[in-house]
Amino acid sequence: MLTTIKSELKPFEDLAHNFAVRELAANRKANDSYPFGPFFDPVVARAYEAGLLGITVPEECSGAGQGIGALCVILDRISAVDASLSGIIFTNALAQEIMLAAGGKDTLKGIMEKATDTRSTLIAYPAFSNPGETQTGLDAVRAGGTFRLSGTIEYVVLGGMAGHALVPARIKGQDGRQDGYTFFLVDQGGKGITKTEPIFSLGLHACPAVDLTLAGVEGIPVGKEGDGARCFDHASDRMHAAVAAIQCGIMKGAFQEALSYSQERFQGGREIINWSALRMLLGDMAVQAGIADIVVSGAAMAVDQQDPQWGLSARAAALHLSELACKLTTDGIQILGGNGYMKDYGQEKRFRDAKQVQALLGLFPLRKLGLVSAMAKGQ
Amino acid sequence: MISPEGSKSLPDRGSRFDESLFSLQAMPKIPRGMLKETQKAVALARKFNDEVVRPQALEIDRQTHADPEYLPWDLVKKANEWGFYTMFIPKLFGGQGFNMPASAYVVEELSSACVGIANVVFVHYLGVAGILASWNVSLANKIFREVVRGQKSGKPSIISLAITEPGAGTDVEENELIDRARLNCHAEKVKGGYIVNGSKIFISMGHVSEWCCLIAYRDLKKASENTVTFAVRTGTKGFTFGKHEDKMGQRACPASELIFEDCFIPDEYVLRDSSIREGFGTRPIADLIEQYIHFVVSVTRPAVGAFGTGVARGAYETALKFAGETEVGGKLLINHEWAQAMLAEMYKNVVIGRLSYTEANYANGLPGGIYNILQRKPVYYYQKYAPKFIFDYLISPLLDLEITQRIFRRLFVDSQSLEVQQRCSGWASLAKIVGTDMGVKNSQMAVELMGQAGLRHERGAEKFLRDSKLLQIYEGTNQLNRINLFNNLIGSSIPQARAFEE
Repeated sequence: MLTTIKSELKPFEDLAHNFAVRELAANRKANDSYPFGPFFDPVVARAYEAGLLGITVPEECSGAGQGIGALCVILDRISAVDASLSGIIFTNALAQEIMLAAGGKDTLKGIMEKATDTRSTLIAYPAFSNPGETQTGLDAVRAGGTFRLSGTIEYVVLGGMAGHALVPARIKGQDGRQDGYTFFLVDQGGKGITKTEPIFSLGLHACPAVDLTLAGVEGIPVGKEGDGARCFDHASDRMHAAVAAIQCGIMKGAFQEALSYSQERFQGGREIINWSALRMLLGDMAVQAGIADIVVSGAAMAVDQQDPQWGLSARAAALHLSELACKLTTDGIQILGGNGYMKDYGQEKRFRDAKQVQALLGLFPLRKLGLVSAMAKGQ
Repeated sequence: MISPEGSKSLPDRGSRFDESLFSLQAMPKIPRGMLKETQKAVALARKFNDEVVRPQALEIDRQTHADPEYLPWDLVKKANEWGFYTMFIPKLFGGQGFNMPASAYVVEELSSACVGIANVVFVHYLGVAGILASWNVSLANKIFREVVRGQKSGKPSIISLAITEPGAGTDVEENELIDRARLNCHAEKVKGGYIVNGSKIFISMGHVSEWCCLIAYRDLKKASENTVTFAVRTGTKGFTFGKHEDKMGQRACPASELIFEDCFIPDEYVLRDSSIREGFGTRPIADLIEQYIHFVVSVTRPAVGAFGTGVARGAYETALKFAGETEVGGKLLINHEWAQAMLAEMYKNVVIGRLSYTEANYANGLPGGIYNILQRKPVYYYQKYAPKFIFDYLISPLLDLEITQRIFRRLFVDSQSLEVQQRCSGWASLAKIVGTDMGVKNSQMAVELMGQAGLRHERGAEKFLRDSKLLQIYEGTNQLNRINLFNNLIGSSIPQARAFEE
């Protein structure tokens, strides 16, 4: 990734690349069989040990204290091999970003410091929705000095398995009015939490999600009451660069597999790469993957340097690369023909993962409309 | 090199667009009974969807993930009970004799609920087409009547088609490429039959079929003139099943590896040996083999276009339902203008897919096309209303006569001009590309419109997307079909143009 011209990020790139090759490549198909096969706990534990789960968390909170650029470098490299782990890293980082945006640094520090194992350091979050678009299904009721949360929230990524969950809820005031929403931290080991079986999803199979039903569960407010949308928007803007990075990695992985296959597979007496229509398809993929690299680098730098309109750059990057990734991975299968459709190869998973990743942070078309709204408002 | 003068005239060399208005040409000659019959067939498919497919499509898909070795025996039994495996077998061969173009609409209907299950029903007709296009009506009659008996007895007897090999996918669908292919399925002529060795892969419904229409080659280096087509019964010594593929979608329909090890196939089960020319006119052998392939794909590719159109429709209907009952930003999704534009686009895609496969089938119904004779009014109405015993006891025995074989070959093989072959094959590719691209497109749009709900298995949209992708690959990748379209509809009128020769 071009961001690595900043030499300090090269170690992160090497770390992620080596981790992906060593821990993910060989068992990609087996790991993807979740929830019908075992969850790859040992790999996630090693990702935690390697420091991949607290990249953007400040050092005083026991994180690596890096910017979005470092996170993007890692997600790019991991996703080229298996984006499911990227989904876990992303979700955890998104929850951490929201907490930081809400001023919840001390709470986050507490989680990081008290964690006894990998799962207890993870924070679950409904990463595929924007709470401002679809009303949250959780209500919070004041009970003495704390809050009690009730209701159902869907598609909580890492729900049920992480130590905590960060969830949006509307605080019911005495007059019944509900202005905005607030984030709450919930101990997933607490009483009153019911989780469904893991959701069987299109992609990112090894990045599990469940629906959670809460019945009077204690929630610690994160940030000011009714300030959830602002916190989400801030974190979301930053994490759009991370979405772009995941898509970039998926695209590069798909292109590499297609390029290799096209030099080994024969049609009409020659390697398929030597048929110009197919080479043109590869050419399109090469261009798209190359562009993706530049786009992610630009977006990550804009975020880290707090360029004017950095949020718009990050959002545009994610939207554009999500579309490109869905197209490129479709062609990636096509180049492998029937083999590309089989789970023995990586292309079909990338096709599913790209579409799944496109849905991160909320409804894709609305994010596009939101981008224009933000531009019109001069944000 | 095309001279400037020559290139100027290129667009004028092909047929004018109004010569390709197949529907307008065909409509006046089409028997009126075909409409009612088609509606009856689609109504049955709709009922099958409501009672059999929809209640279990998602659960079966889930089951195949829990157990990748799942085989759809129960579905095959149900489809057999409902008569789908004999529906489009002509009455001449004991079948129900529904008009063949109606099959595309049935395919669309079934695919709108589950294209995997639609394949469980309709891959059988790929085998039927492979057998029929050999014009060995004696053996076809024997096998098709077994399918009919299977329906009556409740013991399904369905047919698969085996052509793709581990080292050759696209190559085996184009006679111009096949001599350069890495083939392995060899047929050696021995006394009384053939010994077959080799393997086939990605054979839809292989594990659950009673018969396999197998394409093998007497000379692996010169397959373009040495193709042999067999009917092989499951259980034949030397014929076994290997791997059951772990696919992304269409998981209700297994894709099988077929292994042939010194498998002896008697002469009586040879559908066609290209080296035997009797009754096949004066065309070169390679051209006859090519014509055979084009006969099959002229029927099957519009059907795959219909599969794609069905998926496009299913995805659209799923998205429409979601949009009508889900609030976003305080109002129903269906009342957001951007969502309305997306739904309109999806609706359009369905219609375009349907128009394409319909037009391709009209091309097949014009003189020289494979559907033409059965759609001529006297033949159609005779087949429709003549008592069954006439076919079973008077006509059926005649199908074993050599003279009958020759008549069929004369009618279907000799009477088809190269131009008609090109027209039908080119349009079949067009319909395949359009329908399957629309299927993928609409599935992507449905997932986008539904957001996180679209990602969940139980909502159906993600399954449409997984299922749809295979359609762009089988029956020739859409890349191959583009070149086939060029070759047959564009390059055929340009002497300088060469396909597959760069």
